[in-house]
Amino acid sequence: MIIAIILLPLIAGLISLMVPDRLKGVKEGIALFSTIIGLIIAALLFKQNIMFTIPWLGFGIDLSFRLYHFSAFILLAIAGFGAAISLYSVAFMWGKEKLNQFYAYFLLTVAFANGAVLANNLILMLFFWEGLLLTLFGMIIIGKKEAFKTAIKAFVIVGITDLCLMLGIALTGSLADTFTMSMISLPTSGLGALAFVLLMIGAIAKAGSMPFHSWIPDAALDAPLPFMAIMPAAIEKLLGIYFLTRISLDLFRLNPGSKISLLLMTIGALTILLAVMMALIQKDYKRLLSYHAISQVGYMILGIGTMVPAGIVGGLFHMINNALYKSCLFLSGGSVEKQTGTTDLSKLGGLGKQMPITFICFIVAAVSISGVPPFNGFFSKEMIYDGALERGWIFYLAAVLGSFFTAASFLKLGHAAYFGKSETANKTKEASWAILLPMIVIAGLCVLFGVYNPLPLHALIQPVLGAKLEGRDFAGLPTNAIIVLITLVVLAAAVLNHWFGVRRTGKGIGAADHIHYAPGLSQTYDLAEKRYFDPYDIGMKIANWLAKLLNAVDKAIDWIYEKLTVGVTFAFTSAIRWSHSGNVSTYVVWSLAGAAVAIIMVLIR
Amino acid sequence: MNYLLIFVPFIALVLVNLLPKKLRPISSFLVLLLILAAQSIFAALAPFGLIRAVGAVRMEHLFGFHLLIDNLSLLLLLSAGIVGFSALMVAWHSIKDEDDRFNFTNLLFILLIGMNGISMLRDLFSLYVFIEAIAVSTFIMILLYKAREAYEGALKYLILSVVASVMMLSSIALFIMFCGGTSFEVIKLSLVSSGALARIAIALFICGLFIKGGLVPFHGWLADAYTSAPAPVSVVLAGVVTKASGIFTLIRLLTAVIGFSPATKDLLLIIGAISIVIGALAALGQKDIKRMLAYSSISQMGYILVALGCGTRLGLIAAAFHFLNHAIFKSQLFANAAAVEEQTGSRDLGSLGGLAQKMPVTGITSAIASLSTAGIPPLSGFWSKLLIIIALWVSGNYFYAVIAVLASLLTLAYFLTLQREAFFGQVSVKVSSVTEASAGMLIPAVLLSAMTVGLGLVFPFVIKYFVR
Repeated sequence: MIIAIILLPLIAGLISLMVPDRLKGVKEGIALFSTIIGLIIAALLFKQNIMFTIPWLGFGIDLSFRLYHFSAFILLAIAGFGAAISLYSVAFMWGKEKLNQFYAYFLLTVAFANGAVLANNLILMLFFWEGLLLTLFGMIIIGKKEAFKTAIKAFVIVGITDLCLMLGIALTGSLADTFTMSMISLPTSGLGALAFVLLMIGAIAKAGSMPFHSWIPDAALDAPLPFMAIMPAAIEKLLGIYFLTRISLDLFRLNPGSKISLLLMTIGALTILLAVMMALIQKDYKRLLSYHAISQVGYMILGIGTMVPAGIVGGLFHMINNALYKSCLFLSGGSVEKQTGTTDLSKLGGLGKQMPITFICFIVAAVSISGVPPFNGFFSKEMIYDGALERGWIFYLAAVLGSFFTAASFLKLGHAAYFGKSETANKTKEASWAILLPMIVIAGLCVLFGVYNPLPLHALIQPVLGAKLEGRDFAGLPTNAIIVLITLVVLAAAVLNHWFGVRRTGKGIGAADHIHYAPGLSQTYDLAEKRYFDPYDIGMKIANWLAKLLNAVDKAIDWIYEKLTVGVTFAFTSAIRWSHSGNVSTYVVWSLAGAAVAIIMVLIR
Repeated sequence: MNYLLIFVPFIALVLVNLLPKKLRPISSFLVLLLILAAQSIFAALAPFGLIRAVGAVRMEHLFGFHLLIDNLSLLLLLSAGIVGFSALMVAWHSIKDEDDRFNFTNLLFILLIGMNGISMLRDLFSLYVFIEAIAVSTFIMILLYKAREAYEGALKYLILSVVASVMMLSSIALFIMFCGGTSFEVIKLSLVSSGALARIAIALFICGLFIKGGLVPFHGWLADAYTSAPAPVSVVLAGVVTKASGIFTLIRLLTAVIGFSPATKDLLLIIGAISIVIGALAALGQKDIKRMLAYSSISQMGYILVALGCGTRLGLIAAAFHFLNHAIFKSQLFANAAAVEEQTGSRDLGSLGGLAQKMPVTGITSAIASLSTAGIPPLSGFWSKLLIIIALWVSGNYFYAVIAVLASLLTLAYFLTLQREAFFGQVSVKVSSVTEASAGMLIPAVLLSAMTVGLGLVFPFVIKYFVR
């Protein structure tokens, strides 16, 4: 069973790669079938504990899988999203090009993600992890024509962070003397801290945190939409946060007061704020969502980084919540794109009446992400606030401020897309059931996880912490009334801000213009949009400069070899040819002179 | 056994000439082939103790000189056997006229006697006599076809040989003057308390040998003689004759008589290094295959010389091994050149091209020999060159070691040029209807390149049992 859940999508993916495009519906059938079977297997595996180990490569690298509550939970989530999104893809991708590649990469992604989650050996996990880099690249490159640039960008960024992960794994392995994850327990001091940071870079980069985020907004525009819903919105977040939690809780002994915890919280807080500020000014449905996909990771990292029970539970809860509403949001974006042909907010508007079900799903997901009670995002955010406040008011402030901008940007998005007017609005129809069904299911889960939060918390999340939970139970209503009150005030402020913005410009899309064009911010935004702050672009500039320098050095070396050496050699050669006149008396003179020199030499030594 | 090596070829030579005219060519060919094969097998097997041969036979009562076989002798005996065999095979297919062929075999008999003698002799004057015997038969061999350009080549060889003879004879005269004899033992004894005159005598004799071996700047005759000689003659000439009379005698002299004084070492190193570099640079500029190979020969002789110049046991081993390797791959390259000339009628690199498609066996064997000369592992040439460089480095001659390494790049450069211009690339118009050479021409090439590969692969074995 445990192997089947990896092998099934793997084989299905390889088969669908071989299915020719002429046979319509076969690939879709394979994908749908294998993901639904996968979901059933994952459900059956849930609540089981399985340890599966056979020797593999030697050197402590075993084919070792471990199924326990945490991995079973992530497995179930991946399987659920896999099934929902494969159904969605059937409708969304129907008739598009390179479908065999799309389904192959999609199914391989599921297979590798399952493998990475189940792996109980760091090297084995790295194997699957790197497999995901491959499918990530493939998924982006089959998008639009210019997608290869984005694909390369993603490949470089993720590749570099995976290299960090690799180094981290090597270091961890040598420190712990084993690669078996369940046997590792290292202190975070000295080299241990370095190992942790390296592993952390791999984990948070996979989750899409700053500063390893900059490919995501580009991919949002270039890559096929289901990719965004499955990879950056769901699977990568699940995996990244899963691994971050594993290293923070199991592999390393982290303390709430440690510098590493502080580092994590700082990364989290910065990611929340910077990404959400960027999201606020976006004028494209998908690009706006992609910045939120980054921003929300900040909450999870902040939550886990607090290293207090409330924060960790909140972070993990937020992880699953985010996966739900973010994929739902992306799917709603896809639905709009499918029906109107665009995701440019300035061309959209008034879709609320024409696409009511999409609209309702969007509303549910948007209020969830904004943290409106009683939806799921509210509860997880409250816990993170709680944890952050325990560690320092500055982190709490960042989180709350992030919430304000999140709410503001979704008010803007909803207003611009679903209210108002546009030329195309009247001709647009509601999307097909295959597109709507996954959205409805996921939106329903958003409501369920909020209204009845003991279900996810008791069944999925709190067992992960085990003893670290300190016997507390976070299910039910938030305990800290003041935080809830502040949250509500912030949400109200967001609504007011939106009302002010719309009044000012008269359009939903202009709701954030007064922030966008505020003195000081305006110039910063301009630079950010021109990618002056993109670590990838900065890195590329340095790399280009280095490449030019090295090229010049290389040219010089080439010149020495190709021109100078050859030239000198042939100069000698022609001199020798010239001196060999063929005149025998010359040769006799040479011989006699040589003999004379030899005799003199022998005599004077 | 020892005297058999001289008398069997001699008696055979006399006997085949007494035969009826019609039978002479074929019988002389077969007899010589048999003798060469027997000699090669004997020399190859002797080190393993399968044939008891090593030792001295005193024949003063009969001829006034004595013969002694040691492992060094076996080296030359083997080289002479292998190269002679190859040359004979090439001759049988490339010399069309029966009389010419018979003359060639007769001369080869004399060459063989001369080389066998050199390999065993322990007397300076007798050595000189045998060297001259070789030289004389070589002049005639070069002139086998009486072609115009061959006269020029033979004349240059003759003139410079005379210079060498003058040097060696005056040296011998000097030795007789203050040693009272020319036997190695006598000279060695009196050299212990030697003066300036002895040094001059040594230097003169060595310079004479340098001319015979064609080392820079004593090499003026070599390129013309090699190039203008008929194909089988250049095989035997380049493969073993000049090496036997020049280099081998030098090795014998250094090890058995004069030893390694700082001055001789310097002389060897300097002349060797100059030969390596000038030979390689000159080879790089040649358009004629045989001329390129001739200059390559000079360069390779330089390698042997610098190895000797180390004055160490390792240097001697390296020199001896490179001597054998050179005999094998250089005679093979000349056999390849003969095949190319035979089939295309040209040796000009400019007009050839793509021959490997038309003559695959020649192309492949030539590539093997070229790579071996350039010192590419795992061919035998790599090991000997490596040994030479190690020997130079260990004995502290870092400068010469660097030259040896850099010059092997030049070696690779001119051999790649040769391979590219002649065998690879587009099939040129001139060779579009060319076919592979006949089996007789290919046998030596295949045999020799098999030896090159084989010696390279069993190198440690060779070093342990043969080159000591």
